[in-house]
Amino acid sequence: MTAAAELRAPARLRHRHRKSSLFAVLAASSLGLGVLVVVLLVFSTLRSSGELVSMRATATAGLSLSQRAVAGDSVQAPYVGIAQVIEGSSAMAVGIADGDALLTIGGTPVEDVHGAWRAVGSLPNDQELTRVGWVPHLEALLGEVELEPIADAPGKFRPRLAWLPDDSLLAAAGIRSGDVLLAVNDWPLLGSQQSWQTLVVAARQGAGPVQLRVVRDGVEQAVSAEIRRTGELTLQRDFLAAIWHFVTALDEPRYPEHAGLSSAILGSLLVVLVTMLFAFPLAIGASVYLEEYAKRTRLTSVLQVLIANLAGIPSVVYGIIGLEVVCRTMDLGRSILAGGITLGLLILPVMILGCREALRTVPPWVRHAAFAVGATPSQVVRHQVLPYALPGMLTSMILAVSRAIGEAAPLILLGAFLYVNYRPQGLMDSFTVVPIQIFSWATYPQAGFETIASVAIVVLMVILLLLNGAAIVLRNRFQLRW
Amino acid sequence: MTTLTAIPRTPSLAAPRRRRVVEAAVRSTLLGCGLLAIVIAVLTAWTFFAGSLPFFSKVGFAEFLGSIRWAPITVPEGYGTLALLADTAVITGIALAVAVPLGVLAAVFLSEYCNPRVRAWLKPILEVLGGIPSVVYGFFALRIVTPLFQDAGLDVGFWNGLSAGVVMGFMILPLMASLSEDVLYAVPRSLREAAYALGATRGEVVVRVVLPAAMSGIGAAFILAMSRAIGETMIVALAAGRTPAWPPDPTQPMMTLTTTIVNIATGEQEATAFIWSALFAIGALLFVITLTLNIASHFIVKRFRELYE
Repeated sequence: MTAAAELRAPARLRHRHRKSSLFAVLAASSLGLGVLVVVLLVFSTLRSSGELVSMRATATAGLSLSQRAVAGDSVQAPYVGIAQVIEGSSAMAVGIADGDALLTIGGTPVEDVHGAWRAVGSLPNDQELTRVGWVPHLEALLGEVELEPIADAPGKFRPRLAWLPDDSLLAAAGIRSGDVLLAVNDWPLLGSQQSWQTLVVAARQGAGPVQLRVVRDGVEQAVSAEIRRTGELTLQRDFLAAIWHFVTALDEPRYPEHAGLSSAILGSLLVVLVTMLFAFPLAIGASVYLEEYAKRTRLTSVLQVLIANLAGIPSVVYGIIGLEVVCRTMDLGRSILAGGITLGLLILPVMILGCREALRTVPPWVRHAAFAVGATPSQVVRHQVLPYALPGMLTSMILAVSRAIGEAAPLILLGAFLYVNYRPQGLMDSFTVVPIQIFSWATYPQAGFETIASVAIVVLMVILLLLNGAAIVLRNRFQLRW
Repeated sequence: MTTLTAIPRTPSLAAPRRRRVVEAAVRSTLLGCGLLAIVIAVLTAWTFFAGSLPFFSKVGFAEFLGSIRWAPITVPEGYGTLALLADTAVITGIALAVAVPLGVLAAVFLSEYCNPRVRAWLKPILEVLGGIPSVVYGFFALRIVTPLFQDAGLDVGFWNGLSAGVVMGFMILPLMASLSEDVLYAVPRSLREAAYALGATRGEVVVRVVLPAAMSGIGAAFILAMSRAIGETMIVALAAGRTPAWPPDPTQPMMTLTTTIVNIATGEQEATAFIWSALFAIGALLFVITLTLNIASHFIVKRFRELYE
């Protein structure tokens, strides 16, 4: 009845087909969305990691930048402070000192640290020297400041320049010791630190001098003062040098541009080495036993269910097991050896499952033929089954190892340290690994640490992609078709 | 070996003694490796039993599961996990709300619509995405997705359960997709062809025949994805914060069971302190929940296989 109705009603049929193709589009776009979102996240990380090159360029010039902000009554704005100038660097040679405020890089005013790094990043490649502008720190600019209470605003203080050094830029503009600063560019100046910060933000507003109002001997005057110094720095962007520094340097908890990943990389390598030495033989042995030797008894079926379910236990639970069994009972402490064995326990079930899958692809007649010419079970395994199953087993092992490399939770439980400033020398040393280093940097509030966290992510992903690629190539090239 | 003993023993036919010894040695070594799984399981059970015994001798089950107050280091202490469980459930729910529809639809596309050559490209890509470490997803959630939500005008904090849940959803999506795809692929061809023969469109075949037939398998995949989300640690430790929220509000910082474990382990407390036995108690709870879910999924899959084989 319905079929006949449809024959007479092609519009309804068309409707059904349209619904059908709509569903196909929905399905395709779900897959697309799932892949696209993650790919976009990865690319955004990749992009922000590019900032490392600029960070290293300022660091090699001798500057460590830090994000500061003035939170005054009249002005609220961020500015870039210079946290540290390296002894003997080119920045020190042009006269920049700790505590100065960076204003411009190559003519671009910089408001925050990321802006400064972006400005460095957009400098022309062939430029040898870059002109930077900065405001000298409080003591160099204002000298000794005394605070004068304001009569009609209790609790507020004006800065009086008790003693102004002769080489100060304000002295050059004609301001003398004993003057009281009232305002800059119509922003009232209050307090000592806040006044200096307000001056910094005022200097950033335009290229020329700032307009000050001062009180000298009870008389208000207007003074035009240039409070910015300029000098030329070598800001050389060198991608390879930046990457090399990053993978060879030690961690640095205050200055992200000096921090490196070397102890984490070394820690990851050693931990994974222990994991492989521990888990590979056991996984091969267990899978060969279960596939080639074990009869289908109650014991083996219990084993199978057990292994399948152990593979699904959260990794943090393995961390607890490692903590209790490996660290305490086996008394290995919080060492690389303990971390490796814990990760080995974690990937063992997954590896056994994968290896059994590989062994199952070897057809039974290979074994029968070998038995028929008088081979013993161990000879069949060694000479017939293992050679054929090896690529598949290797694939599953590589995938398991790449999981171990990315694993952070169990090692955090074991007490892998969030901050390690030495390279591990032996297997009993305490350690950190790359994922934990990422975890640690991602939680630092200072600007720049999320950048180096993204660089560390890129390093980790490159390692994992190489391993995954190797696994896929192995699978495609050596997979035998029966 | 029984066949050999039946034949009259001539020196040439009997296996040499050395050979027998080697065989036995190989066999027992391999058996030892196989039994290691049991060793791990026993160790796990023993660890959690022995470790949480001091905890449960002081804190009753009623307080542990029924109280919302988790405050192990303040005085008076509180050891209730209800708020933690609720936060875990909310974040898991958000993750599944992302992963399940997208994952199942992606699986439908891969198994029903996609041509084999595209599929051969897409599956490894999904595998690689599924292989991205969870700490990386945690970084995405904290440093990219949360600022994105804030820019979009959502009133979320620096730490919040929402972005952790959403990102976790994208992390378990490949798992959900590949498990469901296996299930869809296992639905016999004859069912599809029968439906086509009755004049069903392609979409109708998928929605009315293939998906219902695969429902129990997809249910198993759902349960596995849930267990994975409950046990996920690094995303929530990075992006969801470390204060339990009651009532659970995903725009606020939330603390899951796994974060609690990390919190205790990275805390400053002495290793002998009572709080460490609380760590084992929480671990045991997590272990029991995920193991139950895994076993449930295992048996659903087994029944599903039996249905069609």
